[in-house]
Amino acid sequence: MFRSTSLRLAALYTAVFALSVVVLGVITLISTRHALSAQFDARIRAESAALVQEYRSEGLKGVVDALHERDSTPGSLDFGLQGPGGAPLAGSLAATKAAMGWSSMRRAGDAHGESERLYAVALPDGYKLLVGDDDERIEALDGAVMQGFGLAFLGVLVLGVAGGYALSRGVNQRIAAISGAAEAIIDGDLSRRVPVRGSDDDLDRLALTFNRMLDRIAALMESLKQVSNDIAHDMRTPLTRLRQKLEAGLAETRAGEAPLEGVLSDLDSILDTFAALLRIAQIEGGARRAAFRPCELAVLAQTVTEAFAPSAEDQHQSLSLVVEAPAVIDGDAELLTQMLVNLVENALRHTGPNAAITVKVARAGRAASLSVADNGPGVPDAERERLFDRFYRLERSRATPGSGLGLALVAAVAKLHGAEVSLAAAQPGLEVRVSFPEAA
Amino acid sequence: MKLLLVEDDKEAAGYLKRALSEAGHAVDYAAAGRDGLMLAAGETYDVIILDRMLPEIDGLAILRTVRASGVQTPVLLLTALGGIDDRVEGLEAGGDDYLVKPFAFAELLARVNALARRPPTQEMRTELTAADLKLDLMKRTVTRGGRRIELQPREFQLLEYLLRHAGRVVTRTMLLESVWDFHFDPKTNIVETHMSRLRGKVDRGHGCELIHTVRGAGYILREPD
Repeated sequence: MFRSTSLRLAALYTAVFALSVVVLGVITLISTRHALSAQFDARIRAESAALVQEYRSEGLKGVVDALHERDSTPGSLDFGLQGPGGAPLAGSLAATKAAMGWSSMRRAGDAHGESERLYAVALPDGYKLLVGDDDERIEALDGAVMQGFGLAFLGVLVLGVAGGYALSRGVNQRIAAISGAAEAIIDGDLSRRVPVRGSDDDLDRLALTFNRMLDRIAALMESLKQVSNDIAHDMRTPLTRLRQKLEAGLAETRAGEAPLEGVLSDLDSILDTFAALLRIAQIEGGARRAAFRPCELAVLAQTVTEAFAPSAEDQHQSLSLVVEAPAVIDGDAELLTQMLVNLVENALRHTGPNAAITVKVARAGRAASLSVADNGPGVPDAERERLFDRFYRLERSRATPGSGLGLALVAAVAKLHGAEVSLAAAQPGLEVRVSFPEAA
Repeated sequence: MKLLLVEDDKEAAGYLKRALSEAGHAVDYAAAGRDGLMLAAGETYDVIILDRMLPEIDGLAILRTVRASGVQTPVLLLTALGGIDDRVEGLEAGGDDYLVKPFAFAELLARVNALARRPPTQEMRTELTAADLKLDLMKRTVTRGGRRIELQPREFQLLEYLLRHAGRVVTRTMLLESVWDFHFDPKTNIVETHMSRLRGKVDRGHGCELIHTVRGAGYILREPD
């Protein structure tokens, strides 16, 4: 039970509150008592002063009368008058022995042992006047205070325990829901999510974060599955061809011929796919960031455009470079070059003859961008999102050569550089833009 | 040429050794790093072909030891690691060239040849020539038979590379790496396109061709016999 954090917290808070109630009670008790004693002492002093005055004006008889009168009044103080030598004369305290001034005593024969506060004052002619007040009222007040705080203490305990239990039950239920979802996922139900109450409290936010994490894991698992399927497909197809050609090659070798060249090109295409996958994995690992250097995108773009312009020309396509503004970014020149090459090759391959392809380097404020636009057939809206998936190929491109990994590599390189890749229709055609973050 | 091959995969090594011998080279072979280290330190070779991942001692450790002992023999690193960092690391450790497995044998042979005949001292040459073709490195001009040929900057670099390796096969990847600094394989035939333009300018209209295609391997610039 006490392994529940919320319950432990509730117990701790209850204990702290109860302790505060006790401390508060003690302080109240002490200060009330203090105030009351002062008040009672003042009353005793006032009474004795009045009686001394009485003696002076009315003599012994006046005092004795006054004592009798006071003794018969309920709630009055206790008095005693003693003659010279201590002979008791009048009042309930007449037989009490006490030193001059303040003292306190236990009233004789009192089973409760109630104590009495005494004040003895000398009257002229050897008489002695005692004025006393039992502490009963102070004690009664003490009792009242203690009873009040005792009830408060009990209340705090009951409320604390009950509230803590209720609170921890609520929290425990929600934590149990989270842990239940996790258990279900461990057992293989990847679609399970943690219930969210919509109250936006800390547990709710935790649940939301948890769910986002689960979405990400599910997406990764899905893409892993997809990739395995794709690898199986994209590797098996050329491997099958390879096998067929080897068989045919063997047959023909026996017949005196050796047409094994096709075998090599099939093998190379498998190796290319492998190399591209490994490279994407390496880039996605993010280890390359250590090698970042300032790169001028315009220089990089010029190298690539110059390299590919003759090939474009041979296919009756045009490839041109527009540098709107020089743009230096912190990055990996080799990977950025490969990224641009992939974009340019993609454009060259998927647009027909007479297409115009433009590489553009631009800068908006401190943010650089690199884009490749063509005026080819473009990409249907529905297919754009998936374009960057590994092995994804447009239906109409299935027949053209290519691994379907080119844009996945573009996405990986862009991500490594904190850049965003966006696709836009380019009236007509397609524009792929890589927008780098603002330079620091 | 006398070559040292350090490679732990016996089957691959056997194939390479046979093929290199057929190509006219004398090949010493070590399967383990330690033996390789002994041979590299004791004998004189024209080129050392060193596998990077060896049992016992890492190929790079061998390379560093060999270099530290003052051996300047060109080293071609072979590796299954194709990462950019791996290449940079290999070259920094003292490797002269880097070839990722698997590779075409023609590629290996071309690179071994290119490494071996590297002039021992990088003498300052201001002019490269082959037959009646002259390339002036200072003025950045090219003439053939006294007639000026206008080349694009990359075409000039291509021709310079061919002339520096005259008589030896240069492969497509060697050109991509040295002329364009592309350390990956584009799907587009950019080397072929640029080469065909260069040949159009250098060889067209001349009785004898200097640049030749070597089937399955690459190109060669050869003076007529």
